[in-house]
Amino acid sequence: MKTFQMQCKVEIIRVLRNRYFVFWSLVMPILFYYIFTNVVNTNAPDKAEWQAHYLMSMTVFSVMGSSMMTLGIRMVQERSQGWSTFIRITPLSDTVYFAAQMIGQSVIHLLSITIIFIAGAVINGVSLTAFEWIASGLWILLGSLPFLAIGTLVGMMKKVETAAGISNVIYMVLAVAGGLWMPLEIMPKIMQSIGKWLPSYNFGNGAWEIVRGNLPDWKNILILIAYLALFMLLSKYIRRKQEAA
Amino acid sequence: MNEILSLTNVTKSFHHKTAVNDVSFAIGKGEVVAILGPNGAGKTTTISMILGLLKPSAGEVKLFNHLPQEKQVREKIGTMLQEVSVMPGLKVREILELIRCYYPRPLEMPELINLTGLTEQDLKTRAEKLSGGQKRRLSFALALAGNPELIIFDEPTVGMDITSRKRFWQTIHHLAEQGKTIIFSTHYLQEADDAAGRILLFKDGAIVADGTPAQIKARISKQSVSFIVDPELSLENLYLHSEIDDIYRKNNRVYVQSNNTDRVLELIFQEKIGARDIQIERGKLEEAFEQLTSGAKEAI
Repeated sequence: MKTFQMQCKVEIIRVLRNRYFVFWSLVMPILFYYIFTNVVNTNAPDKAEWQAHYLMSMTVFSVMGSSMMTLGIRMVQERSQGWSTFIRITPLSDTVYFAAQMIGQSVIHLLSITIIFIAGAVINGVSLTAFEWIASGLWILLGSLPFLAIGTLVGMMKKVETAAGISNVIYMVLAVAGGLWMPLEIMPKIMQSIGKWLPSYNFGNGAWEIVRGNLPDWKNILILIAYLALFMLLSKYIRRKQEAA
Repeated sequence: MNEILSLTNVTKSFHHKTAVNDVSFAIGKGEVVAILGPNGAGKTTTISMILGLLKPSAGEVKLFNHLPQEKQVREKIGTMLQEVSVMPGLKVREILELIRCYYPRPLEMPELINLTGLTEQDLKTRAEKLSGGQKRRLSFALALAGNPELIIFDEPTVGMDITSRKRFWQTIHHLAEQGKTIIFSTHYLQEADDAAGRILLFKDGAIVADGTPAQIKARISKQSVSFIVDPELSLENLYLHSEIDDIYRKNNRVYVQSNNTDRVLELIFQEKIGARDIQIERGKLEEAFEQLTSGAKEAI
């Protein structure tokens, strides 16, 4: 148990010391939030609703990024620097190692969610019911699972540079095409129909529904589960292939 | 015998190449063993199998009578790999604290620092900012953190300067005195000769010699007595003695080869040839190494 706590603590320390994390997952989303709700005039019919909507977009954007990039790049780093090999020789069990990574990552997500929610409340005075705050926070925490699975896929790449580059591109494409930067409704029809099938849109839509007083759509949940299964299978397949080589 | 490690008919093949071929040996408690051999002899593959990082294609590796992957084995071993391993984002002290808590009876922090020569400054540095030498010291500390009974090093001194190398071997000596079992691979003959009580000499994935450094040297190289003598003087008389195998001159010295160097000394004085600056040459491990690992199979 002591090992597990220590391992979790260490994983959290490492993420917080990572400058990329602080920039991409905290500074960027909050900055964007400020710009698109205060500086740029979006002509939203219901200003309060738009402010709550965009707060969800940016929180989803933040958590999605740290799931994919922080986790993935760290895995590549650990492997390329020989740490993974060393860990295999120590008595640390794979289960504890994996669980600590996941818990560490979740604590970090919880922290990001809290900070960005507070920023929303402070910057624009976003006010939601207690249920809406908690439900949307939980949705974002759990909905990050398929993106953590993408993170493990990124983590299988050989070089840190490749992993960082590719995950960054996927991240941006998913964010824009999934309607996290600007709502899908203002995009061309074709983009809208593609976007609705992306994991990022379904991740975001759950939170958007919650702040509108609804519950996430069944379709959102099912699509996210399907993506999770797909990415996990893919990651299992690639790992088996790498081990055989 | 208190057997710590045993390999029984272990073979490892990669695709078409056999890296380790039918190797068997056992190592007892408290031994300091060098796995010596030229590059590509199968040293690292053997060590990887001992550590459970690679599975043998055939045969069996047992540590403390268990398979290398078992937790109780891992709790008793410490290792320093050829590729230095660091965990990015953490300070040296944090990494050591973390690794120590993986083991049931870790080495106390002050002792660990004392043994490995880590400085206060090193401890505060983040792993990714360490210099090559600092990384080596951290790796060494990681190997010792769990207070292991068996310590395995793969090419430990590559990249160390003379001072750290000396310090490293002093520490190894100290650990051996505490009854730790130590296995290290090296391609430096001198290290194997100085530090190990036993050498396993590898060539093309097989063990070609197994014994104390003295035994290995004796197996191959001849001993000789060398001295300086008036060049005009004939050495005919020495040739008459059957104990002497050969006499030759090199760099103004006369070399008399024999398996009984005591007898040669006696003869030199008996014949009153006026020999000066007499030395007994024991035969070097280098020679044994070259003979054993060079292409010619007859030498083995």
